[in-house]
Amino acid sequence: MRDKTNGRYMKYGLFLIVMFMLFVFPVLKPPLFFLSLLFTAYMYVALAESWNLMGGYTGYISLGHIAFFSTGAYTTAVFMNRFGVSPFATALLGGFFAAVLAALVGYPVLRLKGAYFTISSLLLAVVMQLIFMNWDFVGSSVGLWYKLLPVSIEINRMIFYEVMLFLATAITLIVRWVEKSKFGAGLIAIREDEDVAKTMGINSPWLKMKAFILGAFFAGVIGGVYGYYIAYVHPEVTFNINTSLLILLMSFFGGCRTWVGPLFGAIVLSLVNQLIVTFIGAEISRILYGMLLVVVIIFMPDGVIHYIRGLFVHRKIRHGDSIL
Amino acid sequence: MTLSYIIESIISGILLGGIYAILSVGFGLTWGTMKVLNISHSVFAVLGAFVSYWLFVKLKVDPILSLPLIVIILFSSGAIIYKLVIRPVQRAKDVIMASMVATFGVAIVVENVMSYFWRPDPRILKPAYASSSIFLGEISISQGPLIGFIMAICAISLLYWFLNHTYIGKGVQATWQNPIGAALVGINQERVSLITFGLSIASAGAAGVAMALIYAFYPSVQSIWTLFVFLVTIVGGVGSVIGTGLAGLLIGSIIGICAAFLPFVWVNVLLFALLLVILLFKPEGLFGN
Repeated sequence: MRDKTNGRYMKYGLFLIVMFMLFVFPVLKPPLFFLSLLFTAYMYVALAESWNLMGGYTGYISLGHIAFFSTGAYTTAVFMNRFGVSPFATALLGGFFAAVLAALVGYPVLRLKGAYFTISSLLLAVVMQLIFMNWDFVGSSVGLWYKLLPVSIEINRMIFYEVMLFLATAITLIVRWVEKSKFGAGLIAIREDEDVAKTMGINSPWLKMKAFILGAFFAGVIGGVYGYYIAYVHPEVTFNINTSLLILLMSFFGGCRTWVGPLFGAIVLSLVNQLIVTFIGAEISRILYGMLLVVVIIFMPDGVIHYIRGLFVHRKIRHGDSIL
Repeated sequence: MTLSYIIESIISGILLGGIYAILSVGFGLTWGTMKVLNISHSVFAVLGAFVSYWLFVKLKVDPILSLPLIVIILFSSGAIIYKLVIRPVQRAKDVIMASMVATFGVAIVVENVMSYFWRPDPRILKPAYASSSIFLGEISISQGPLIGFIMAICAISLLYWFLNHTYIGKGVQATWQNPIGAALVGINQERVSLITFGLSIASAGAAGVAMALIYAFYPSVQSIWTLFVFLVTIVGGVGSVIGTGLAGLLIGSIIGICAAFLPFVWVNVLLFALLLVILLFKPEGLFGN
């Protein structure tokens, strides 16, 4: 009993030390490249965790996450451009709009299952991209610019770094809490067998709706901050389908059944992805992650963590053990 | 906005619809028979278009003459993809979802290999006859879409004939209707699946050549083509060759009529919104059985 409590304190201690080190990292005045690298890694952690609420726990694979992300980005951009309100103040509003969109879309779309759900969510992103490309109020195909913070670039990147670190930590902790709660258990029951879950008295439409809205809210907030970070929103940039696929790959790579998987997958793959994009080329990076997606689906459907653990305990992992 | 203009738009829409039908028919076939949802279908259409384009530009081979070669090349690439990706994925519990995610990976790989080697610039296949038109009284029909349409009709008829009048085609249908029964009477499922998949990719390649006669193509256009494939397949009912053909013509006419009155981008918005509505209320398709 005492060992267990000690172990728990050790874990908390380790967590706090790591968080503190990440928190003070910008004070060491590292090259800006590292701050950008980590900022993007945190962003993908937050996105993958928020995606995993639906995609991982319930098995409803959405490719429309990017639509909610973009809703957030456009909200802050429009408020800054038209009314001059700081994006940090309106990022939550971006999340709110994304959640409203998720509720409106989710009501009909969440009745669909499997591939039909995935395609509808992809269509949502595509239709929104086409509309935003031709809607003058949001800058159509020209895009919208943000006014930069009146500080030096170092301070600017530092602020964004801390904000995204906070968001990633908060979202990961919330998702972890959801996973351990009754709500999370309901979501996992839906993944295992939705019809059985319903007969056991789980209100599956409402639970799916809650998870979908919560994930969309997070994506909206992240998008609001990200738009301000790159200081420019454009339909081709924010609604990029490759981002949706990258989030999906990160979750599957790490293992989408627990909160640890997306965290691990997002950190590893976003660092690798950015290094390849910076030093070799974007196309090579996409070719590699396309191949990785195939390999993950065929050989490690429960994620690389599960797979490696399986190698050590010499337990044969069956192909296609989970839904994938 | 004269009457002949409207008739012209409808005719060009129908020609386009025939091409969309051949682009989609193989996709519906693998989805219906093998339960493989192949997102990489239209990336192979783009590949077919590129091969045809290079043969035309470098060796001056006419796209119609090089068509058999393209069918053979794409059938082989389909067979390779089947062996490497689809066969292992078919062991998964939920084959449709697993194949969908895995073929998303294939689509990314092929798209980016193409854009790495051939640059992402838009290109168009322009043999001399594609830019001229035929006149029927006041109505003009451009030859590019007409040739593409004829190619598409030939390909769909061939595929229909293959499925209904050859031994292997009947085996494909039997496997689709009752996999265990088909296996019991000695149909080699793996071989049947390989041929089905290869044919589906080959039909995509032929469709890609037809598309390239009308539209500019570039590696990333495949995602838009994929959505059209979905639109036609879902409207026509998954796995029905005739249904897909009819759906292609229907959607083509809708595009033709709308394009006469609306800017082109809004036509796409309208079509994808239509697909969303059909998915929600009639996911088994309008012509499904």
